[in-house]
Amino acid sequence: MISSLHRIITISRNTLTEAVRQKVLNVLLIFSLVLVGSSVVVSQLATPGLDSSGLFDAQIKFVKDFGCGAIGLFGFFIALLSTAQLIPQELHNRTIYTILAKPVRRSEFLLGKFFGVVLLLALCVALMSLAFAATLYWQEMRGIQAAEAAYNQTPNWQANPFVVNAYNHDVAQIVQQVRDPQLIEAVILIFAKLVMTTGIALLISTFATSSIFTIVTTFMIYLIGHMESTAREFWLASGAGSSIWQSALVGFISLLIPDMNSFTIVDEILAGNRVPWSHALNLLGYADVYLIVLLGVSVVIFDYREI
Amino acid sequence: MEIPASQMSTCLPLSWRLRRAALVALLLGLWAPCKIVWEQRIAHEQDLLRYHGAPMTRQLRDELGQGLTIGVLSGMRSVVADLVWLNVTTAWMDQEWFRMGGYINLCTALQPRAPVFWDMGGWQLAWNASIAATQDRTQPNELRRLKASRFWLDRGLEIFKRGIENNPTYWRLWNDTAQLYQQRLKDYRTAATYYQQASEQPNAPVYLERFPAIMYGLAGDDQASYAAWRALWERLTPQEREMKQHWKEKIETNIRRLEQKLSVPKEKRVFPN
Repeated sequence: MISSLHRIITISRNTLTEAVRQKVLNVLLIFSLVLVGSSVVVSQLATPGLDSSGLFDAQIKFVKDFGCGAIGLFGFFIALLSTAQLIPQELHNRTIYTILAKPVRRSEFLLGKFFGVVLLLALCVALMSLAFAATLYWQEMRGIQAAEAAYNQTPNWQANPFVVNAYNHDVAQIVQQVRDPQLIEAVILIFAKLVMTTGIALLISTFATSSIFTIVTTFMIYLIGHMESTAREFWLASGAGSSIWQSALVGFISLLIPDMNSFTIVDEILAGNRVPWSHALNLLGYADVYLIVLLGVSVVIFDYREI
Repeated sequence: MEIPASQMSTCLPLSWRLRRAALVALLLGLWAPCKIVWEQRIAHEQDLLRYHGAPMTRQLRDELGQGLTIGVLSGMRSVVADLVWLNVTTAWMDQEWFRMGGYINLCTALQPRAPVFWDMGGWQLAWNASIAATQDRTQPNELRRLKASRFWLDRGLEIFKRGIENNPTYWRLWNDTAQLYQQRLKDYRTAATYYQQASEQPNAPVYLERFPAIMYGLAGDDQASYAAWRALWERLTPQEREMKQHWKEKIETNIRRLEQKLSVPKEKRVFPN
């Protein structure tokens, strides 16, 4: 058991090292950091001419949306591209034969590769989150400065306790929105979604013959996953007016494809609404169990595969 | 059962493979119904959290276009809504109010629980579009200008009220509606009720508590104004009265003035002297 774990750790470490050296992934990471940073510019374009307090509610929302959007989007590309070429690259370079000729199970090889990509994702998400936090902090500074400038237009406002109260309230609102602890919850949920995407891509790559096939199929499953809830509702309420083929199709989608749409609850957090941790943990539990199923199926398919 | 290292290579015996395949089929068979139940539970919880946010409809899809629809379907709903909002800003700069109104409706449909869209959208329509209509020289007469202005004001008011329905705890929407009643419609009594609601929401600024009393005063309802000032005074703890001198003085001055004006009997006054 321990030796098996050791082998998995070695393979995942090696996978991470290989992935970090890939130029495509580095370029994606740089683009994502630029996009997170430029969210401030987009927020200013979208909200010109508002008063300071109303302005910052909106601007902070835009920064959060684009920041988390960039983490999700580029994380998705990184997960997809790095996972899709895991096995084809090993086959192409013939390194898989050297590894499997040693006392390494196929399952260990596969899990090692998977955890390597998860480590890579964790690293990328951590970096993007740092850039996101820095952007938010900068936005907070700007917000406080702008609020102060707006109040400074009233001469001697510090002497009026009512105006001082209003200023303090505005500043507190900006700080509260920027330093929202729920943003950690949002990033964790985005990460869970990315790991699920990795699991799907890995499963497909175990029987796919090319990286392109894995990329396209995973992308399609990802899209369908966002409509799975609609298919499920239709299937559960089915019968009325649907043919047997329609029912079979939506039943297939409902039973096999993961519900990616549940993770869009992140939007609620970004809009400033409370999402209880119990709900986030429920989603994380769902993602974990789904991953175990995905990895189990991947291992079996990979065992069958002729190499 | 541990497999000997010598056998751990690329090929497993057929019986092992079949046994594993059967096990996976069994696991999938067991997982599928659990998955459905679990997902239904998650969906139910989310329905409660979101107040049943807007689903992706054909109309929404047509209005968004192909590219943005894929964005929504990829889980980028908030980013898509923000990108649509950029069109609101462009339409505002071009003073194309109907186009702007359409985009505002689209943004609020995409993210009904994002109060800033209701807040900014209502402001754009009730103030910017409405005021611009009063200065529209293409209209033949003042009456038409006033009619157009009122049209946009009503659209803005509708956005604020729908925003409140979707986000009842966002104080700024209550405050915006109150301001509209106060400053544009001169309906101080209704403004007072909205200010009252605004002041009761989380994170509302303290100064809003005084506004209902002031609005009743502007409406000429001294009795209601006195009751509101008095309620405010009674809500203040002795500690707060000590700490917020400026606050205390303001309330006290108004109560004294109204007690005098309404000839409140001395035994019923807050300040008999």
